[in-house]
Amino acid sequence: MNVLTLTARELGRLLRGRLTWLVLALTALSPAAGLTVLRFTASETMLSRCVADPALAAGVLGGLLFALLTLWDSARASKSRVEVLTDAAVSPLTAALARLAALLVTAALALVLTTLAWLPWTAYTVGAVFDGLDYLLAYGILMGLALPLCILLAGAAWQFTRRFDLSLVLVAVLAALSLTVWRGEWQLCWLNPCVWALSDDFSNFRVLRSAAYMRLTWLLGLAGVWALSWLCIRRYGKGPLGSLARSARRVYRPLLALALLLCCGWSYAAQPFIDRSNPDLTVMSFFEIPYLEGVTFVSRTAQVFPDTKAGTVSGRASFRFENTSGQEQKVAFGVNPGYTVSDVRANGVDVPFTVSAYQEYNEALLEVTIPADGEVELTMAYRGYPQESIPTMQGGKELSAEYLCLENSALSPRLMNVLPGEDGYPAAIEITLPEAMTVIPFGSSEAEIIAEHDNGTRTWRYEDNGTGGILYAGDYVREDMEAGGIHIQFYYGRKHQAVMEAVGAADAVQAVVDYCTQHYGPLSFGAGESLKLIQSRVAGGGYAADGASLLDEAGFTIANLADGAKGAAAGEVFIHELVHQWWGLGNMFDTADPSSPWSAEGLTVYTTYRIAKELYGEDYAVENYVDQWRAAVDDYYLNFYVRCPEYLDALPEAERLAISNALSGMRQYSEMPLKILKAQELVGGEEAMDEILKGLFTRELDPMYPYLTYQEFLDACGLTEEDLSLD
Amino acid sequence: MQISLQELTMTYPSGKRALQGVNLELDSPSLVGLLGPNGAGKSTLMKLLVAGLLPTGGAVRVDGEPLLRRERALKARLGYLPQDFGLYDELTVTEFLDYMAALKGLQDSRAAIQSAIEEVHLEEKARAKIRTLSGGQRQRVGIAQALLGEPELLIFDEPTVGLDPEERIHFRNLFSRLAQRRLVLLSTHIIEDVQSVCSRLLVLHRGKLRFDGPPEELIRAAEGHVGTFDETGGEREEGLHITARVNTARGVACRAVAEALPPYVQPAEPTLEDAYLYLISGEGEA
Repeated sequence: MNVLTLTARELGRLLRGRLTWLVLALTALSPAAGLTVLRFTASETMLSRCVADPALAAGVLGGLLFALLTLWDSARASKSRVEVLTDAAVSPLTAALARLAALLVTAALALVLTTLAWLPWTAYTVGAVFDGLDYLLAYGILMGLALPLCILLAGAAWQFTRRFDLSLVLVAVLAALSLTVWRGEWQLCWLNPCVWALSDDFSNFRVLRSAAYMRLTWLLGLAGVWALSWLCIRRYGKGPLGSLARSARRVYRPLLALALLLCCGWSYAAQPFIDRSNPDLTVMSFFEIPYLEGVTFVSRTAQVFPDTKAGTVSGRASFRFENTSGQEQKVAFGVNPGYTVSDVRANGVDVPFTVSAYQEYNEALLEVTIPADGEVELTMAYRGYPQESIPTMQGGKELSAEYLCLENSALSPRLMNVLPGEDGYPAAIEITLPEAMTVIPFGSSEAEIIAEHDNGTRTWRYEDNGTGGILYAGDYVREDMEAGGIHIQFYYGRKHQAVMEAVGAADAVQAVVDYCTQHYGPLSFGAGESLKLIQSRVAGGGYAADGASLLDEAGFTIANLADGAKGAAAGEVFIHELVHQWWGLGNMFDTADPSSPWSAEGLTVYTTYRIAKELYGEDYAVENYVDQWRAAVDDYYLNFYVRCPEYLDALPEAERLAISNALSGMRQYSEMPLKILKAQELVGGEEAMDEILKGLFTRELDPMYPYLTYQEFLDACGLTEEDLSLD
Repeated sequence: MQISLQELTMTYPSGKRALQGVNLELDSPSLVGLLGPNGAGKSTLMKLLVAGLLPTGGAVRVDGEPLLRRERALKARLGYLPQDFGLYDELTVTEFLDYMAALKGLQDSRAAIQSAIEEVHLEEKARAKIRTLSGGQRQRVGIAQALLGEPELLIFDEPTVGLDPEERIHFRNLFSRLAQRRLVLLSTHIIEDVQSVCSRLLVLHRGKLRFDGPPEELIRAAEGHVGTFDETGGEREEGLHITARVNTARGVACRAVAEALPPYVQPAEPTLEDAYLYLISGEGEA
């Protein structure tokens, strides 16, 4: 019997069934659930909203539909007694194989139909940042691989139990576990992979690789379980165990099932993506390692060679020390847990070293014994797949020809226990990357190209001072400008170029920096004369230090730039996001209390209004900001749930949250700016308010609680909460 | 094809003993009728022959080799119609037969399907969805799938159930014709079906083979043990098994079998049905 021929007939039979087409149609529609009720990602990037969520929803719903189809088709053959005929013609094992193959082909058809059906809408909605490869990979991995998993699971459940109801319960239990208890366990949430965000402007290989790895691990496992259940297919009138004993007589069959299960176990244990850092973040033992007596740092160099296709890094690091102790010393480094260290030599001689199994804060401890020589040059090689620490926010260590971020020990081993020399920790880093990538050291350092190679790569070099360091590189557009008395380097992803140009990003940067520096003061993290503004891959927020500030791409998505609460036009929303460099990053705010209007948004919206007023005139600013806030606040005070909050508590949680969030957003984006405007009137006008805000911005920070509070604002204005009441 | 059953015994896990020490030799070509009351073990015997069950004792040999060793070859040469079977309703008759032809690994399935459809007189329904067929038509589809590829061994379990008399005669003749070149095993409750066409008869009763021979031999064994009488309502003799009652102008005319006929019973010429009933009534031993 030719299984392929039989599969073709099974497929033909399956495709003649109405239920099959119903399943195909519902699967093709299921991405719509990801746009509404079944959202999985936590980010607002366009690809998260329009690709990842729909694909994940299609994976969950389509998978469950195919599980149902599998069970229904299997149960029907048995219940309607067609099996009696087929079993007399061919071995039930062969028939089961053909049925599985036919279902898998049908699932592939569902994937193709769904992908094609949603392509036009997605491409149109995502707009300039749409990427066909991301789209195909996301649908293939997040949706497509869910379908065979569900088919295998349902098929195995049926073959073990021969009961539709019991099999359905088994599938439902495993699906429910994935959607609830295992939701945060990236290797266990087999139905809904831990994808918290997809980047619009840079690549997504890391997070998609991780999802694919998890899915392949489960595929191995469920294929093994299915193979085991396949051996239990009832034959010769025997029960599951009797049939197993009979079918397992061909030894390769149980061996194959066992091999699949073992491969699954190995794949689970040997995952390369996430480290095993101590989950207790209060433990910081690596920071408590005492400095060595008599050993001081002289310099370090590193040559780093990222493999942008494989997502791996190899490199060589060299450290020079002065050892005046006259003894051997054990130097400690932090290395990324995904790296293997080798070829460790001191002054050209191999020296002993160990890498700890214990990991903390995304580092393992590398300890190297250096000789008693007065001057020691320590060299080492490292290579591997950089691991991350937070399984539910993967993607930070993206490494591709479009983008990479290497932080501290992922860039080169980070020295832990040697005191700095007279020059601190001078370092020279060389990194070789595809020529389309621009290297951006995070900080005031400048990278320069020192070599161009025939294979289309370039070697960049920059100098730094520190034991670690952060490096960004990617397919960036760089715009230079003078603003606020400093030189600004503004970097953004080339995929976002059309959007950035449409909103007049460079002019906006200039306007904001000029305005805010003049009115509130320079940014504390500016390096005196220069500031890098770097658009980063979606990271859950930005950060700033030492002459550089990171702008999370999520703030500049097409959807966000159309958010009327933040600005009257896309360019003004862009201004709003830049103003957060002052209110939000330069001056931090504690996590917003949902019931309070006070957050970084109030001052940011107010400042955006002031900039718009300066750029476009008072009439424009009043019409597009103040009038809008008033209208929103009037609506807010008339809102039924604001007037009768007890009814809000009676609503289901999901609805309550949706309404609460909407009300909270209104308080922060409309009510607070109006209160600040009222405060401005009460304190004597714009200039007086600018002085107050400047004072707050440049105030002495309490390192234990560096956040700007509402009370501080009120105190600075000499007002009370009641004074700012809008009733 | 030669099938040999040696001390074949089948006891189900529930403890029910369906077959006990059955010995048989089946050679092609022949048309073998299998008779027996419900629960006699007929279906169990058929399932054992198509490798649907494994015997708990004894052996089934196909062309001299154990059945399990030749299971794949047997299935390739087998046409089987079980008593209770189902069809895929969403397929047409042709599509279903095509599906079954693929299962059987037939090379020239189109000709085989055409031939089978003609044999069972379903030409007009060839493109009809199975869900639209009547019970008799579905039964004919079942027979057609068994005929696909001209199998060497045909096993029919109650094949004429649900067919009208005309169709029954057609299929009876068809089986007879098929048996000229094949081994056909026909299990049925309808004595007429086997009487006219079977060259050999097997009677199973309580898991044991009670008779194996030509129908005439079974009839001969019943001679002198079949008679008729008019029922008067009085006490009936022990051992007298009434096989038929007919209302007549004189009252109820009865036909009965017995080891020794009572004086008021008029001896009658036995039919195959009489002979079969005489045999399984426990009074006769072939």
